[in-house]
Amino acid sequence: MSPKETKWLAPHASILVLIAMAIAAFAQSSSPKLTENFPAGPMQAKATTACTECHEARIIVQQRLSKAVWAKEVDKMIKWGAVVDAADHDALVEYFSVHFGPDQPAYEAPRTALEKGPGKKK
Amino acid sequence: MNSRRTFLRQFADVALILGATAPFHTFAFRAQSAASQPDSIDMPGADGLIVRSSRFVDLETPVECFNTWLTPVPRFFVRNHMHEPSMILASDLKAEGWSLSVGGKVEKPFSLTLAELSKLEAHAVVNTLECAGNGRSLHRPQVPGVQWGRGAVGTARFSGPRLRDLLQRAGVKASGKHVMFRGLDEVPGKVPPFIRSIPIEKALDSDTLVATHMNGTPLTKNHGFPARALVPGWIGAASCKWLTEINVLDSEFAGNFMSPGYRFPNQPGRPGEPVKPEDTHPLTAINVKSVISVPLDGSKVKSGKLTIHGAAWAGEADIVKVDVSTDRGTTWNPAKLGRDQAHYAWRLWSYDWTAKTGDYSILSRATDSQGRTQPATAIWNPSGYLYNAFDQVKVHVA
Repeated sequence: MSPKETKWLAPHASILVLIAMAIAAFAQSSSPKLTENFPAGPMQAKATTACTECHEARIIVQQRLSKAVWAKEVDKMIKWGAVVDAADHDALVEYFSVHFGPDQPAYEAPRTALEKGPGKKK
Repeated sequence: MNSRRTFLRQFADVALILGATAPFHTFAFRAQSAASQPDSIDMPGADGLIVRSSRFVDLETPVECFNTWLTPVPRFFVRNHMHEPSMILASDLKAEGWSLSVGGKVEKPFSLTLAELSKLEAHAVVNTLECAGNGRSLHRPQVPGVQWGRGAVGTARFSGPRLRDLLQRAGVKASGKHVMFRGLDEVPGKVPPFIRSIPIEKALDSDTLVATHMNGTPLTKNHGFPARALVPGWIGAASCKWLTEINVLDSEFAGNFMSPGYRFPNQPGRPGEPVKPEDTHPLTAINVKSVISVPLDGSKVKSGKLTIHGAAWAGEADIVKVDVSTDRGTTWNPAKLGRDQAHYAWRLWSYDWTAKTGDYSILSRATDSQGRTQPATAIWNPSGYLYNAFDQVKVHVA
């Protein structure tokens, strides 16, 4: 690299780094996030097995329900085919109540890519 | 995610502070736009929709898209109760192997291929289709179900043969009182199938269709290709997708999605209290409602002239007026109703406001031809149906 080139680069280096980081951030921001996951916790694996056979976790993650309502929902889903060991029933209701109770902040749903404009489909 | 957004905002600020040249300004603008969006998901045929669920597919239209009388199909909300039919997903929109049967309490049962169905006289209806659970997330206490915001609704021109023509060809017997629809939805586990019925009077209405087209193009897979019921003015669940069987019954179909599903309390109860099944009735027509599409909730706007926009609809009734309040409901002023109208379709509306500096709650309130007006508080019910309280957006005017 010539001294002239080095001299040009020095004051612009921060901008170039920012551009590179911004490009990386864009690439990440458009990465697919097709399915939601359950949060870490003692029942994470069992909730995944019991629920995601039929539907993705997002439908649960977005709920904000009391423990009594969670108990009714879990019982309904067991009737509809969710496999939950009787010994895990109460722990599963507790797990949902703790993570998806009425006092938790609202779930922020993602969007599908735009046909045109920023964030458009690749 | 938050750290990335923070970074992007900081980058945008830095780029501007550095006095960047034109390309940098463009880049900074894009960074700000992207920073206001969560991660996006590539999903064919869904243009910037809110993902309530990707399996089953439940997609909501952002309210800012309610700026056209007809909602473009890629921006039209999607509500699936079950998995999409694999036969349809694999069909490449050719409908090979698909047929529609008409039977039950009829003299001459028959079935049609899509080619045969397409030869029948078509009729078009512009209909505002709304999921019964639209606005569910706004009920307090919160209730289980897809947590729709305000956008599980859209308006399209649906077209296809009249259901009446098919029923008359089959010859409905005197004992035929209800018409059942079965779609090809694939049912997981022991979940009850998504089957519903409508009363014969609505089935014989000249505007009730077996729709094959939406806004002039064949139905997409998301919207029920190759054919769906279109029960205008009624809750979206009445308009069964991927329709394959029409069955005339002597009584309402007995199944989960008729009872306990899609029922509403006969009398308003106390929020959070259970409602006895015998104190409920099946949902039919949607109620009176309006939403504000501009400005967006939580947005900052410049003081001066600002036009507030929105849409209002009322199921089988017509919208007669929309009022807007910019002072939390103390005073109301009439909005101007848009020119485009059809019996089952929403009216777009607008209101010119001179905004002075401050924080505001803007409210909208629709009234229909049956004399119904949106209430300040919606009737709470255990499944969160028919939310229709005044719409409200909060804005900061600077």
